[in-house]
Amino acid sequence: MSLDKTIKGLKTSFSKELSNCKSTQDLENFRIKYLGRNGLLTSLFEEFNKLPASEKPHFGKELNILKNKLTNEYQNALGDKSNNKTSNDNDFSLPGYDLPDGNIHPLEQITSEIKSIFQSIGFSVAYGPEIDDDYHNFEALNVPKHHPARDMQDTFFINPNTVLRTHTSNVQIHLMENQDPPLRHICCGRVFRNEAVSYKSFCLFNQVEGLVVNETSSFAEMKGTLEYFVQEMFGKDTKMRFRPSYFPFTEPSAEVDIWNNKLNQWMEILGCGMVNPNVLSNVGYDNKKYQGFAFGMGIERIAMIKYGIKDIRLFYQNDKRFLEQF
Amino acid sequence: MKVSLHWLRRFVDFDLSATELADKLTMRGFESEVVTDFEDLENLVVGEVLTAGKHPDADKLKLCTVSDGSNTFNVVCGAPNVDAGQKIVFAKVGAILPGDFKIGKAKIRGVESFGMICSERELGISEEHDGIMVLDDSFKAGTPVKEVLGPIFNAIDIEVTPDKAFALSHRGIAREVASMIGSKLKTPISSVKLNSSSKEVIPVQLDKKGGCTRYIAGVMKNVKVGPSPNWLADYLKSVGQKSINNLVDISNFMLLEIGHPTHIFDLKKLKKPAIKVSWAKKGEKFNALDEETYELNTDHMVITDTENTIALAGIIGGLDSSVTDSTNEVLIESAYFDPVTIRKGSKKLNLLSEASRRFERGTDPNAASEAFNMIVQLMQEVAGGTLETVITDECSMSLNNTSINLSSEKLLKYAGQDIPENDVERILNGLHIDAKKSKNGWKCSIPTFRNDLCVETDLIEEIFRCYGYENIESSFNYSSIMQYANDEESSIFSLKHHLSSLGFHQSYNNSLEDLEEVKLFGKNAISVVNPSSERMNTLRTTLHAGLLKNLDFNFRNGSSNTLIYEYGTIFEGKTNQLEDITQKSSLSCLVHGDVFAKNVHFDSISASFAFLKGVACNIFEDKKLGIKIKFKEQKHYYCDPYFSIIDGKKQVIGGLGVINQSLLKDLDIAHKHDVVVLDIDTKIFTDYRGYSTKVEDIVPFPLVSRDLNFKMDSNIKVGDVVKAMKSVNQSILQNVLPVDIYQSKNDVTTKDVLFSLSFQSPKKTLEDKDVNTIITEIINVVSKKFNAKLRDN
Repeated sequence: MSLDKTIKGLKTSFSKELSNCKSTQDLENFRIKYLGRNGLLTSLFEEFNKLPASEKPHFGKELNILKNKLTNEYQNALGDKSNNKTSNDNDFSLPGYDLPDGNIHPLEQITSEIKSIFQSIGFSVAYGPEIDDDYHNFEALNVPKHHPARDMQDTFFINPNTVLRTHTSNVQIHLMENQDPPLRHICCGRVFRNEAVSYKSFCLFNQVEGLVVNETSSFAEMKGTLEYFVQEMFGKDTKMRFRPSYFPFTEPSAEVDIWNNKLNQWMEILGCGMVNPNVLSNVGYDNKKYQGFAFGMGIERIAMIKYGIKDIRLFYQNDKRFLEQF
Repeated sequence: MKVSLHWLRRFVDFDLSATELADKLTMRGFESEVVTDFEDLENLVVGEVLTAGKHPDADKLKLCTVSDGSNTFNVVCGAPNVDAGQKIVFAKVGAILPGDFKIGKAKIRGVESFGMICSERELGISEEHDGIMVLDDSFKAGTPVKEVLGPIFNAIDIEVTPDKAFALSHRGIAREVASMIGSKLKTPISSVKLNSSSKEVIPVQLDKKGGCTRYIAGVMKNVKVGPSPNWLADYLKSVGQKSINNLVDISNFMLLEIGHPTHIFDLKKLKKPAIKVSWAKKGEKFNALDEETYELNTDHMVITDTENTIALAGIIGGLDSSVTDSTNEVLIESAYFDPVTIRKGSKKLNLLSEASRRFERGTDPNAASEAFNMIVQLMQEVAGGTLETVITDECSMSLNNTSINLSSEKLLKYAGQDIPENDVERILNGLHIDAKKSKNGWKCSIPTFRNDLCVETDLIEEIFRCYGYENIESSFNYSSIMQYANDEESSIFSLKHHLSSLGFHQSYNNSLEDLEEVKLFGKNAISVVNPSSERMNTLRTTLHAGLLKNLDFNFRNGSSNTLIYEYGTIFEGKTNQLEDITQKSSLSCLVHGDVFAKNVHFDSISASFAFLKGVACNIFEDKKLGIKIKFKEQKHYYCDPYFSIIDGKKQVIGGLGVINQSLLKDLDIAHKHDVVVLDIDTKIFTDYRGYSTKVEDIVPFPLVSRDLNFKMDSNIKVGDVVKAMKSVNQSILQNVLPVDIYQSKNDVTTKDVLFSLSFQSPKKTLEDKDVNTIITEIINVVSKKFNAKLRDN
């Protein structure tokens, strides 16, 4: 009796029966018969074990070839039956997989760009509460209760003494209350303004504000810092100007405009100034010894300039057709 | 604030166009734009209306012939006041009016029209649009309009910031212009105090508690009310104000001339010729000039004639004591009111006036007397009349200059560079600040009209802005070495990128939502007391609400799948007191539809519960965190089912659930498949910060795989079976994965589940017998515990 013959017979019946399999259930039964734990192939190996040592190398090789062949044939048949498709492997003109394509929101992209510019020159990033008391949002920032400057920021109230912050400057107060100079921080987050919703204003927006306090930081340094920022953000050739302005928490104050070549006009992008000495004394700093500067910008505004977006509400609608463009 | 160039020239001579002036003022801290500039308006000439007849086809239109001095044109005009013989502003074909309004040939109701007769609004002069603007008859037809209207009506609009009270008048701006171009300020009306021949006195009584610290009063008799002379009416018109009558116009003129509000009472309507400044009675009703009735409170300051309230101090006059056509005796008020008193009063009534705007920012106490004296002179000139009482001047405040020391060291430290001393002195003197050199800097005497200058940095700001911010050299001295910089949210930023690469879009939703909707998601929502709309009156308590809206919007716009997440703050509080409110950063994902649509390579893969469960494991079991999670089913307000995600310390660090149908229905969220949400508590990034994985040796021995096929009751949870299998052996059995579930159509009570088991020993190559022992035990456990039958394989 020869194992050779058995191998040959097995090969023939295997192919024949395989081609007769019509369903996945047929295939499963077939697999059990030939390749299962107690299947025909296993029994061949059991016979092989009984062979004298001299014949083992030859049949060992034969049996391994057989095992591979049968397994491959079965796998191919299984593949064909289970998805009932012709193989696409040879048509290289077919489109690739359409992998899911997610995005970071444009406002987050701009924020992180701004963050990394300032982090590269040693600013830490800080966060703080969106609901805060009147003191941290206004009074500590040199905006007393009955001051006309309150009209500059229409405010949402939770109760007479609690507000939705109108700027992230409240974080600066919290920071200074907990930490002595020197300070070099930026604060990011949502701020709220009680304004009518339109294409150019929403009831909230995102802000990045910066604060530097030490013994020497001057107006000249503020200009240098913000020039660096504008060049990194908008390009080395960006034309910019510092224009005198007013904020209660800084003095002298300025607004920064950049030149828009397309519209042929200046566009305001941020406000800044030397920290008002009253703000420093409110948090217990010695305002004769310490000075510094602060600045702030609206992310939506910068994103609108940078991407040419005309309606601020698009940022909060989350239309996929909009988000997919970033 | 609208400022007329013509008016400014009363105080200072300058040779700047409206555009140049606006640019220069902008760079001095007065953001300005040109609103009326006839310089740029071409094809605009004085026209003469030759005839004004009926339009053949429209009752309200007229068909006119207009001469431009050399030619005659047919013009259709809709104004009721157009008439033959009038001199008018004629915009010829080709003219471009303010607002980029181009004039072309037009056919109006079948009749051709060659140009337009303009109203004041069309020319940008005022809001007047009831009729056309009629010009002085002395103008010659054909004269370019810029020559006749330009000198009077060219104007700019200045945004005066709240600190710059001194600039709320033409004189204030003129001072700035004079200092800018190094010119002198003129005095168009003398403010010399006039004497009266009468010895009569108007008694004035101030309140001891303050609120009004200077009150000047006097009476003029024999005044004649009538229309204002053209020059006066034109000044008012040039800044968009209507002329009312000479008396009212004088007071309005003075306000815009030097920035000091005054008031004129009809003397005969007062109970007594006397003034008492006091506080309103609680609930007192006051009929104001604007014909509204206001309910006052005890912190409203009022002017009384000792019996009746005749004005709401510094805000608005009373209707009953106001000037009318029959007025011939007037009491003139010029006073100084405390800014906070006026601010509170006007805010409470939500009543802002030109007067209150100036008083709440702080007026110049010396301008009170200037304004009074100027008004008397103007009234004599314009309305006749004589001063018939001694001028009463009750004053309990200082009228002297204040003083501030400016140190040159501080100036240098603030600028970061030297500003030459003579520049400093030139700037200060130009601003009417007398600067005397002292040992360390200057002793500066501050005029009373600059109440905004109180401390040293106020002066530094003045010097910087006049010196020019562009003239301060910038310095940049950050070291080129990367410095210490942290961001507590950088790990969350990595997570956002992770989600993006899994196919999620990041969304930003409004924090303010509709209370009625917020209620559907939970309790303890915090509302805003002064919302701008009821749709946005409450702070979100979960991010799910916004994400559902995003799903709805995108589904309705044809997007079959939504994979979206948001990171943001959610709010909750038992009361609306700050200490009771929690503000928590939160991250939620929502999926609906397919991750992969059906395509040529494979069938669709849906963004199901299982998909999001995979995402959860992928995120939480990130090797950088080293968390092992478990899912525990729980009841949820609006998810069914819902599973808490629990870490090794048994803390809930997230949740995964399917939004129930009733919520989707209540909110009318458009959808087709299950809507699944995943919450991730981002505090894990701080709790598990600093974990570093310990590397295990790679096992050199082969992994052995075995399959087991069980038939079991279809209600059995496969997860439970896997768990049971794993519990049998933990050292060699590496993994158990369900790979196929088959349910026959003929027998739905059972299912066949194929498990793939893998074995590996760290010590040796496994032999059959090692594996077989475990397999036998597994088969035993599963058969007993689940009453499952091993199928033959």
